[in-house]
Formats: sequence, structure tokens, C-alpha cells
Amino acid sequence: MINPVLEPELLMGLGVLATLILAMVVRERSNAAYWSGLVFAVAAGVRSYTLHPTSHLVGGMMVADGYGLVVNIMVTAAVVAGLLLAFDSERYTVEFPALLLLAGLGGMIMGLAANFILLFLGLELLSLPLYILAASRRDARSAEAGIKYLLTGAFSSGVLLFGMALLYGSTGTVTFINYTTLHLVPVLLGAGLALVIVGLGYKLAMVPFHMWVPDVYEGSPTPVATFMAFGTKVAAAAALLRVLAFGFSLTSGVWGLALGYFAVLTMLAGNLMALPQRDLKRLLAWSGVGNAGYVLVGIASHTVSGAQAALFYLLPYGMAVVLAFAVIRVLEGQQEGAQMEDLTGLAHREPWLAAGLTVALLSLAGIPLTAGFFGKFYLIKGALQGDQWGMAIGLVVATLVSLGVYFRPIQYMFRPGEGRPARWSVGAAVVVAGAGLATLFIGVYPEPLLHFVAQAATFTWLR
Amino acid sequence: MQVFGLVLVPWVGLLGFLFPRAWAKAIALIVSLVDLALFVTLLAHTGPGVNWNWIPELGIHFHLAADGLGLFLVGLSTVLVPAVILASPRAERPAYYFWILVSESAALGVFLAQDLVSFYVFWEVVLIPIFFLLSGWAGENGHATALRWLIMNLFGSFFMLIGVVAVGMIHQTQTGHLTFQLASLAATNFHGAAGPWLFIAFLVAFMIKAPLWPLHGWMPSAYGESPPPVTALISGVLSKLGVFGMLRVLVPLFYPQMRAWEPWLIALAAVGLVYGAVIALRGRDVKMTAAYASLSHMGMISLGIFSLTTAGAVGATFYMVAHGLMAGGLFLLLGWLERGTGSRALSGLSGLNRRLPRLSAWFQLFALAMLGLPGLAGFAGEYMIFQGLIRANVAAAVVAGVVLIVASWYMIRLFQGAMQSTPREEAAAVDLNFGQVGLIGVLAALVVLLGVWPAAITGHVGTLRPSPYHVVALVRQGGSAQ
Repeated sequence: MINPVLEPELLMGLGVLATLILAMVVRERSNAAYWSGLVFAVAAGVRSYTLHPTSHLVGGMMVADGYGLVVNIMVTAAVVAGLLLAFDSERYTVEFPALLLLAGLGGMIMGLAANFILLFLGLELLSLPLYILAASRRDARSAEAGIKYLLTGAFSSGVLLFGMALLYGSTGTVTFINYTTLHLVPVLLGAGLALVIVGLGYKLAMVPFHMWVPDVYEGSPTPVATFMAFGTKVAAAAALLRVLAFGFSLTSGVWGLALGYFAVLTMLAGNLMALPQRDLKRLLAWSGVGNAGYVLVGIASHTVSGAQAALFYLLPYGMAVVLAFAVIRVLEGQQEGAQMEDLTGLAHREPWLAAGLTVALLSLAGIPLTAGFFGKFYLIKGALQGDQWGMAIGLVVATLVSLGVYFRPIQYMFRPGEGRPARWSVGAAVVVAGAGLATLFIGVYPEPLLHFVAQAATFTWLR
Repeated sequence: MQVFGLVLVPWVGLLGFLFPRAWAKAIALIVSLVDLALFVTLLAHTGPGVNWNWIPELGIHFHLAADGLGLFLVGLSTVLVPAVILASPRAERPAYYFWILVSESAALGVFLAQDLVSFYVFWEVVLIPIFFLLSGWAGENGHATALRWLIMNLFGSFFMLIGVVAVGMIHQTQTGHLTFQLASLAATNFHGAAGPWLFIAFLVAFMIKAPLWPLHGWMPSAYGESPPPVTALISGVLSKLGVFGMLRVLVPLFYPQMRAWEPWLIALAAVGLVYGAVIALRGRDVKMTAAYASLSHMGMISLGIFSLTTAGAVGATFYMVAHGLMAGGLFLLLGWLERGTGSRALSGLSGLNRRLPRLSAWFQLFALAMLGLPGLAGFAGEYMIFQGLIRANVAAAVVAGVVLIVASWYMIRLFQGAMQSTPREEAAAVDLNFGQVGLIGVLAALVVLLGVWPAAITGHVGTLRPSPYHVVALVRQGGSAQ
């Protein structure tokens, strides 16, 4: 009998098998694989929600606590969004759902991992399908994206492995919780932890390990970029928070300050570099870099509020970025990507699409009545609780810079003129409506979700 | 519940998108009149308001209530917004009216909020509709104007957000209870090292929104290029948010810091007062003259608040309402003047009292009210502010007195230049029509009413808690002002 805490992962795994078998049976592109993928991903998400969280270590490897389950839900949401955006397009092949679900499974495992071995397995399971997916469009830019992602991904895995090896060599254990009780050799601890943070920082798009992000997002098919922007970021941030808050909460003096500087640097650099972008996918990629910095603020503050805020912030960010990518998906049609000029006059031609993108951008900018505002509010609270005024000010300055990023596309949409015509698909319409309404709802009444997430991310050994 | 209705009703303006474009104005007008009716019921009976436990996880309440500070500013907004809608072109897109209504809702929220986070949420929401109005309707450079408005205002607001969170958390460390209720925060002690910085964060945000010199960088283009009804809205209603915030947040929470820095604050406001008046005096453009006159008046209102006297606070509250009516009416008149003659350069306008007798007459009334003629609304407010100012700082009172003379000078210069000199050319000019006269007549009647019977406001607010009568007196005694 399998442990019930693994049921979401089991459902996801069954989904992978089902879509693979359908891919074999059907051979050419059909919607059957997408439908089954959707059903299993949704089922995995729902099971994660209904599952009763426990704080027991399963086999010394994983914890299906509330935190892991929230990560599961977010990753499955990213998978569902990716599937919906690729749904009725001829361009995405029959293997697409299987690979996306497999990547999702990897992300879910990273959320549960309480042990470096499992963390690494989850990371590779997340990354390998994404290398293929990034290169799945048959053109030069997609191939470039795939190879860039593969090289940086392999490199970052190596760095992460080296860090893990140092920590293991110093203590003889790979289970996070044991690091709190064992004596660590300071040099090995510092070097090992630094390498682990760098390795996960690559996936999270932490500056200065972010250079792959714009090219990969731009070259990858839009549904894949959507999953990367949300799913990968959630998994990497969750794993980083888990490692630091579980294993190294007592040695926060070693990493807290450094991570705080990286957080501010990431926020500022990401938003500054997003300013001149005219390609919307590159703009969102740089915005994703900046938002990685916001999440790091929560992690680096090393407080209960900060951890809660980091986990909560991933959700408004994810919904907004999924919404924005869905709009790009509707705009791009057969041609990949969308430029700022393509938005011209969108508010008059496609009011709903324009409303969706406006909501997404307002949420990313942190304007009240959208979910992003409470995300930023919570992060500032976390930073101040840790007495980290510098991070709070850095966050505010970065957000100020980001206004120039997010309000320019809005102005293009409301400008008179002719841009590119939109091609709605049912899947994209569902994503736009769902993510848009959720962003507004959380912006007006965040309490239920906030409470749920806050319960999940309460690590009692934090301040 | 009326107060919640006041904030909620403008959103009914969304209906405008569902009906044909020709109906948009009528729908918006009806919605805004419903809001006005709600204000009238509020005058008759000021209920307890609403206080919902909005986000217990973060200690945030959704707390709206009408009190002596906000009640008549709510009145000002609900009176001025229908006027703004009436003065707008009939064929405007539904979005235009929707954004006006949204800005009304947010402004009302700020005036009614009794919880600092509720206050902040509405405070920021105000920016978005004006951003869209400037972006879409402020001419060629509207996009740049809108971005400047947004970024300058959010510069203040974001630092204020740190202030908001910090204020709540300092309260939590002192009492063990996380709340953002202004009544509770007023009893908190912000004497720590963070105190002055928090005070500056709030002050700067309020000064930018008002705007007050030297943080008025967004004002010239926003006032100058937006359509006249939108200028009337910004200058009449939204500019009050900043000075209102000082009275609502700064005085109760940061009284010690204000007291310590009082001479500097007064000097700052006085420089702004003079600066606005001097620029207005040299203005070659009627709208910009009025805009800088408005800047100068904001300095006057903040002087009343910075005097930290009861008379000053009451005077500021009164003058906010009076200025809203006067500036709103004046900018509408200037809009009609520009439309009727095709020019707003002072050099291009002359002898209009013969060509446009009706417009000229009403313009005269509003110009006299602006310069503070006794018997009109401006005078009563200025008198009370002076009363407070003389007690606090005689030098500043002298400066303000001199500026009043300059104010008469620029207003009369404006009036004489545009209206009285001999007409240079006999180009076609369109005078006010019947509807416009009715509209401006209502505003004028209110200006006269408040001029001869200021107690309509000052008497009524005294019966409410908190009121401008108690804000200063209570913090001075060390009690809670709220």
C-alpha cells in the first residue's frame, strides 16, 4: 500500500504514463493526450488540496507538510496553464503533454524534498523535459533556447552537486533537518551552502546567474515559457526556502546577509533591464528575474512572515505572469512572440484581452485591488520583521523602476491604431478568464488564501 | 452602510460599457447623483459606518466611517463629480466616465477610511483612473503626462507603504497586537529612531499628492493638458487628498515630530505659497495661472495644518471644501472660455465682458472668491487659518498676508486682461448656454452659502468625533485624537 501523502505525485506520474501511451497509440497529434494530461494534472492539484498535511519525514526523504502541498498546487496550476495554452494548436506535438507533466512531477518532488538526493532528482526531472520542450519548435531560435537552457542547466546542476558533496563530506548526511543538530566545519559549510544557493539560484534566475532567462523565454514556445516562468520558479524558490529554513536556520548568519544583497541586486537588475525591452516575452523574462528578487527578500529576511510572504508572493506573481503569457499566446497566432507595437489599439479591438493584460501588469506592479499588492505588503512586513530596512527600501525602489516596465504596454494598448489581430483559442480564453478573475479576487479578498498559505509556511524555528 | 454604499455605487458605472455609447453620460450622471443622495442621507444621520475584519491574518480592517474630518470632503466630491460629468462632452467614450467614477469611489474611500491600510488601498487606487484619463484624454503628450503623474505619486506612495507597515509593526511590538486602526495607532509612541523617517515617508507622499512645492513636478503638465472637467476633478477633489492625509494621519500619529519641526514645515508651506503666487502672477496662460494659484492655495491649507492649532485645523478643513468648489468652478469656466474663444493665452483674450457677458460675470464671481473676498467661501477659510497661524508663527502669518495681496493682484490681472480691456478682434465667441449657467450657478450658490454661513460646516463637524476641533487638542494633551 502506498503512503497516501504521495498520492498527488502518483496521480501526476499516472498522467505521464497515460499521455505517453496515448502518444504511442494515437501517433499523430490529437487532443486525447491533452485531455488526459489535463485531467490528471487537475486531479493531482485537487488531491494536494484535500490531503491532510503531516510533518513526518517519509523515509528520511520527504515531508508532505502544508508547505509541500501548496507548492504541489502551484506547480500543477502551472502545468494546467501550459497545457491549456498549447491545447488546440497544431504546432505542439503529441509528446508535449507527457513532457510537461513529467516536468511538473519534478517540480512537485522538489517541493516535498527534505533531503538533497531527492531534491536533486526532482530538479533533474524538472529540467530534462524542459530542455526538450524549449527546443521543440523547429526553428533556430528555439534550438538556441534549448541549447542555452541545457548548458546552463547542466552547469548549475553540477554546481549544486558539488555543494551537496561538500555538505555531505562535512557531516555525513544529506537530510536537511540533520544539519541543524550536527557540527559543521565552517569552511565546508560556507562553501557548500554557497554552491547550493548558486545552483538553485540559476533555476530561480537570481542575479548574477540569470543570463539565460531572456533568451530561453524568447526562444521557447509560449506555453513552455509559461510553465518555466511559474512552475520552475515556484519549485526552485520552494526548494531554496526549504533548504535554508529547514537545514540552516541556526546558521542564518552565514547566508542571511549575502542573500539579502543578492535579493536587492536581483530586484533592481531585473526591473532595470526590463525597461528597454520591446519584445513582450523578453520583458516578462526580465520581470521574472526581478520577481525572483522579491521572493528572495522573503527568504533572506529569515522570519516567519518572510517565509510566508515568499511562498504567498509566488502565487500572485505566477497568476499575473501566466495571464500575461496567455495574452501573448492569443496575440502571437502562427508567428512566435509579440512586440510592444503589436499591442497598439488592443483596448479598442479586443477589450477583454486588453483588460486581462492590464490586470496582469497592474498586479505585477503591485497596485491595490490586484493580488500583487498584498504580495508586496506581506514581503515588506517580512523584511521589517527581520529588521531589514534595506531590503524593504530596495524592494520599493525596484517596484518604482518596474512602473516604467509595466505601464508602457498598458499605454500601447489604449493608444489608437492598428496592431496585430488576436486569435483566441478556448484554452487561452480559459486561462485569461481564470487567472484574471483570481488575481482580482485575491486582490479584493485575500484572507482565505493568505490564511491557507500562512499556515502552510509557518516554520516554527524561525523568529 | 451608507458609507460603504458611497464607495460601492460609482462602480455601477461599469454598466456604461453594456449600453450604447450615447447613454454613457446619462448613466454616469445618474450614478453620481445617487452618490450625492447618499451623502445627503449621511448629513441627516451619520451612522457608525462599517468595520469589517478584512484580513485578520495581517490585522487589516476594512473600516469606513464619516467623521468631522472627512464628512464635508465627501460632500465636496459628491457635488463636484456630477458637475464634472455634466460639463464633459456628450460623445465621450464610456471608459472616460467610468474612470471618473472610479476616481470618485477611491477618493471617497480615502476620506472615509479609519484604518491605515484601507486608507492606503484607496489612496493608491486613485492613481489608476487618473493615469488612464491623462493617458487617453490629455492630448498629444498625454502618455508622458500620465507616466509622470503615476511615477511621482507612486514614489511617495511606495515609501509610505513601508511607513504603513512599520507603523503597524511598531504598534505590535509595543502592545503585542497587530492592527492598523488609526484610533489605536494614535496612541502609539513613534519616538524611536525610525520615527522621523516614518514621518518623512508619510509627509512626502502627502506633499506630492497635494501637490505642495517643491514636489509639484507632475502638476503643470497634468493641469495644463488634461481636458477642463478632468482638471476640475483633479484640482477640486483629488488635490485635497494630500492635505487631508496630513490632518488624518500626520497630526494624530506624528504630533511630536510635527511639533519639533514646525518652523521648517511652516517655512516650506510658506515658500510654496509665495512660489505659486509669483508664478501665477507672471502667467501668460489663463489655465496655468489658475493651476499655480491652486498650488498656492494648497500651501495656505497646509499652513493651517502645520500651525498645529485648533483654529488652523478647522480652517484647513473648511478651506479644503471651499477651495474644491471654487477651483472646480473656475477650471470649468476656463474650459468653456477656451472652447468658446479657441484660445487660453492671456494675450489672445481681451474684452470678453462684451463678447461673452454671461461667462464674464460668473468668472468674476469665482475670481473674487479665489482671492478671498469677504462674503464668499474663500474668506472664511483664510480667516480661520490666519487665526491659527498668528498664534503659531507671526512671521508666517505676515508672509501669508502679503501673498493674499499678491493673490488679489493675479486674479484681478487675469480678470482684467481677459475680460475688461478693449476687444482687439471681433472673432466669433460662444457664450455659456443655459445648462452651463445652471451648473455653474449651483456651484456659485454653494460658494456664496459657505461664505455667508460658514457654520454650516464648522458647526456640523463639531458634533462628530473625531473632528478638526479635537484632533490637535487631544494629541496635545497626550490622549487619542481619534
